[in-house]
Amino acid sequence: MITVERLTKRYGPFTAVDDVSFEVKPGLVTGFLGPNGAGKTTAMRVMAGLTPATSGRATVLGRPYAALPNPGRHVGLLLDASAQHAGRTGREVLTLGAILMGVGKHRVDEMVELVGLTEKEANRRVRNYSLGMRQRLGIAHALLGDPEVLILDEPANGLDPAGIRWMRDLLRGYANEGGTVLLSSHLLNEIERVADEIIVIGHGKIVAQGTKDELLSGAGTFTRSTDDDALLAALAAASIVAQRTATGGLQVEAEPVAVGRVAVAHQIVLTELRGADSRGLEEMFLDLTADAAREEVAA
Amino acid sequence: MTATTTTTTPGRPAPVSKSAESALPTHAKVPSRIAGPRPTTGVAFTRLVHVELRKMLDTRAGRWLLIGIAGIIAVALTIMFFDNGGEHSFAMYLQATTMPMALILPVVGILAVTSEWSQRTGLVTFGLEPRRIRVAWAKLVSALVVGLCAFALSLVLAGIAHQAAITFRGINGDWATDGLVLLGAGAYVLLGVAQGVGFGMLFKNTPAAIVVFFVLPTAWSILGSMVSWLGDAAVWLDMNQTMQPLFEGSLTGAQWAHLATSVATWVIAPLAVGIWRLTRAEVK
Repeated sequence: MITVERLTKRYGPFTAVDDVSFEVKPGLVTGFLGPNGAGKTTAMRVMAGLTPATSGRATVLGRPYAALPNPGRHVGLLLDASAQHAGRTGREVLTLGAILMGVGKHRVDEMVELVGLTEKEANRRVRNYSLGMRQRLGIAHALLGDPEVLILDEPANGLDPAGIRWMRDLLRGYANEGGTVLLSSHLLNEIERVADEIIVIGHGKIVAQGTKDELLSGAGTFTRSTDDDALLAALAAASIVAQRTATGGLQVEAEPVAVGRVAVAHQIVLTELRGADSRGLEEMFLDLTADAAREEVAA
Repeated sequence: MTATTTTTTPGRPAPVSKSAESALPTHAKVPSRIAGPRPTTGVAFTRLVHVELRKMLDTRAGRWLLIGIAGIIAVALTIMFFDNGGEHSFAMYLQATTMPMALILPVVGILAVTSEWSQRTGLVTFGLEPRRIRVAWAKLVSALVVGLCAFALSLVLAGIAHQAAITFRGINGDWATDGLVLLGAGAYVLLGVAQGVGFGMLFKNTPAAIVVFFVLPTAWSILGSMVSWLGDAAVWLDMNQTMQPLFEGSLTGAQWAHLATSVATWVIAPLAVGIWRLTRAEVK
């Protein structure tokens, strides 16, 4: 359980996180989605007590992070897979964590195996790790203390599609056992594949949040029929906004059930009726990304 | 991830080249639970010290630093052994082992702190112990432990070298050591290490901390000889000067005051301000 209440973090005139509130519930994988520089990492660092908040607060398991006794046993952190001493071996990184948390050395072996690093790889220095291997080491470190909560910043970065699926299965299984998971990503399809709940952040503000189904269904309906002209007219008569798409069929700003009712009333045969792809979410996200890109160019 | 891992067979495919990496397991396994309830007490301070000690020695940089110190001591003792037929007192041998060590050991203290920022391991360290002041103390204590061990080693090595000179070169041994001299040599090593830790916390940056640490004494002696009021101040503030009476085995009241003032300025103050900075800094 993570609770963020009216959290704001300013750096001089720049507001990195702007009055953000949300809750991350146990038993679910919550995705924190936003373009680079949206404030995800800053918000996560505040949750982990590494960055002081300007105002507002974040609590993990009901208390501020700094008040957790032996926090590694309660919260697993992966804030930056590259933030490891280049001169240590992967195994040594895990061993240091195990000593500090007071979990046995066998737990290190278990985690090395869990993320599929070979004995040889574990004994290699982190300097020689690929990004994907660093991510795996980071995930192993986050899980080392058998935590109740996971806070992972861009954990899928550097993983291939098979790796992303592996992570989805891992986090799914972990959440099913009652764990709380917050993971961030700047890639929509990554979040779509892994998360149950999605929080979208842009310019430090939350622009959307809800279950994946809610957010995706907000995208409206896509439909095709034997007579799209008639359907378009019928929908207009029911004051439902709809428009033709370039590839044929109609994009309707209503739930599939509403479109179906109109079609039945006018005895129009539908050949396709489904919730539109995540277009709504995707467009909102692309707008955010475009804004961020423009700002980068301006700067 | 690499293309070599697209066909995953049960079991683990052998790495093809040095850079190839193993495949993720085909099925994600949920980590097992650790038996018993989750801890309600914090991380024991001894565990923090244990980890900090280990961190000083488990990287190539840390290991080479200590090997380098051992090498310099060996060279110094060899020179002593052959110079003037090895005819030196134990105190001289001790000085030969302690001086080079005291020069380099503070770097161990500096790196113990600055690597948390330069290698960004602070994200993990302060994530696992958010009460950062405990981490700061653990770093100081572990650096002092390393200093103590190194000093003990230099005592032993100096003793062995002196005995060897007596046995093999037939010198007249002189084991006389003043307690204050021993204390002085030990304090010289430990204060240097503590100063290193303090400078590391103050600057949070390896090159800056090292440069200031090594330039400072030289700057004192150069500027002190050119600018008269700086020369006067040096009596109170230049640690090389204020420590000198310790090695000579006698201190007047004024010399104690000089020593205390310089230690407060260059060891206690940097540590205090450094710890204050460390507990407040944003960890990125």
